[in-house]
Formats: sequence, structure tokens, C-alpha cells
Amino acid sequence: MADTQTVVGETILVSGNLNGDEDLLVLGKVEGSITLTKTLHVQESGIVKANVQVKNAVISGIVVGNITASDSVEITEQGRMVGDIKAPRIIIVEGASFRGHIDMGDLEAQRPSGPLPPRTETRPLGAPRTSRPAIGAGFARPKAAEPAKDVKAPVVAAAAKTPVPAAKAPVPPPPKVAAKAPAPPPKPAATVVAGGKKKVVVKK
Amino acid sequence: MANTVIGSSIVIDGEITGDEDLVIQGTVKGKIGLKQSLYVEGTGTVEADIQTQNVEIAGQVTGNITATDKVELKANCRMVGDIKAPRILIADGASFKGNVDMD
Repeated sequence: MADTQTVVGETILVSGNLNGDEDLLVLGKVEGSITLTKTLHVQESGIVKANVQVKNAVISGIVVGNITASDSVEITEQGRMVGDIKAPRIIIVEGASFRGHIDMGDLEAQRPSGPLPPRTETRPLGAPRTSRPAIGAGFARPKAAEPAKDVKAPVVAAAAKTPVPAAKAPVPPPPKVAAKAPAPPPKPAATVVAGGKKKVVVKK
Repeated sequence: MANTVIGSSIVIDGEITGDEDLVIQGTVKGKIGLKQSLYVEGTGTVEADIQTQNVEIAGQVTGNITATDKVELKANCRMVGDIKAPRILIADGASFKGNVDMD
């Protein structure tokens, strides 16, 4: 049977690249990279410090490195592994030791869509930032109670600029964008809204 | 079972070291260092410098061999490189090109 299977014996150290189209049984040590179209068995005495690309991997020994499997990766009770696993099926049984990242591929399709929404969300987060300045504006309110009246009217806000330069000065830094005139209007608007709401509350 | 076997579809590019017998049916490039015997079978191809106790070659070897005991080139084997060993056997039908040193 041994003739039909590749075995790396207990006292053997293979360092380098190992490629093949058959099962590989590791009882010894392999360092470097392993690429197989079949199954890698790392026995209890086996130590693999390599990036592994296989169809299946069964780990009963020690593996340090990343594994990419087209089918499955199994870490048995005696198995210890540190590294990332990417495979559609990953089995980690009780008693196994593992530290690393797991990627079960199927989620990949969703992932790209995932990051996109967050990006858009981050842009909205920009709005919250404006809200933050609004908070700043809230502090500014007492300084300039009148600008709150400038609802919906950036022009009015512009007019208010002159009366409340000190209040506006703190506001511009948060907006980040170099928009001179445009930046201030939205801020005042936000401040106005906040102020308006609060005023409403006060009215209530 | 304890035997280390490099199967016929396996290609190793690097170094193999160990204290046990090694059977090569596939391809090994780089370096081999053993304290026991190396068997390069008919399907085996080795492009490496070899340092072992015994070597038996039925396949192809390109590289230098240093053995502490014996090197045997079997019929139909192809060997290119230098051999240094106290005992060297070359069978009828073996193909060999290189230096022999039996110090």
C-alpha cells in the first residue's frame, strides 16, 4: 500500500516545494509549500510549516501556515494548527487546537456587496460628522441665538456670518472639505435644524 | 509503512533530509541527505546532490552522489554526475556519465 501513497517518514525533513496529484501522508516534517490535487494527511507525529493547497486536508499533527482546500479541511482531536483556512467545508472537532482565520468561500459573493454598503454608509457617516459640528453649533447657540432663526436660508446664514464669526470659526474645522461658502451653509442648516428641534422641544 | 515514499506524481523542489530510507518514484530537485538508503525507482527522477549511506538507482539521477557505503546503478538507469563511494556497482544496461571515486 505504501507504494501507492507518498509518505514522508518520521525522521524526514522536506524543505521546499512539494507538488503532486496523489495523497500525501506526513509523519515527519515538511517546510515550504505543499500543492496537491488530493488529500494531505498530517499524522500525529507530523509537522507542516507550509502554505498548503490541496483538495482535502486531515490534520492530526501540527500545521503552521495557511491552508486552501477545494473540498474540506478537518482538524482532528490531536490536531493543532495556526494559520488561515479557506475551504468550503471545515471541520474542527472537540480537542483540536486552532488559531487563525476561517473562510468558507460561499460567503465571498456576499462579502463584495457587504463592503460596498458600508462605504456608502461611511459617506452618510459624513453627515453624522456634520451632526457633530451641529453639536458644536449647539454650544455655539448661546453665543448666537439669532442664527437659529435662519431656517432653510443659507443666504441668511451668510448674513449671520458677520454677526457670529466666533461661533462659525469652530464649526468650519470639522467639515474637513475646503468648501468655504458651501461648507458653512450646511452646518448652519444642521445647527438650525438641531436648534429648531430643540426650540420645538422648548415650546413643548 | 515507516518507509518514506515520494510517489510517482509528486514533485519536490527543495531539500530532503532524514534518518531513514527514502524511496523516490516521483521527482525531486534540490538536495537529498540521508543516513540510510535512497532508492530511486524506475519512474523516479532526481536532480539533486545526494549524500547518503546507500543509493540504488533504477531511474534517472542528475547530480553528484556521495555515499558512505555503496552506490548501485541498476539496469536501465540513467545517471549523470560524479559518484564518490567505497563500493560502486554498475549493472549491465545502466547508463552513466561522470566521474567515479572509490577512495
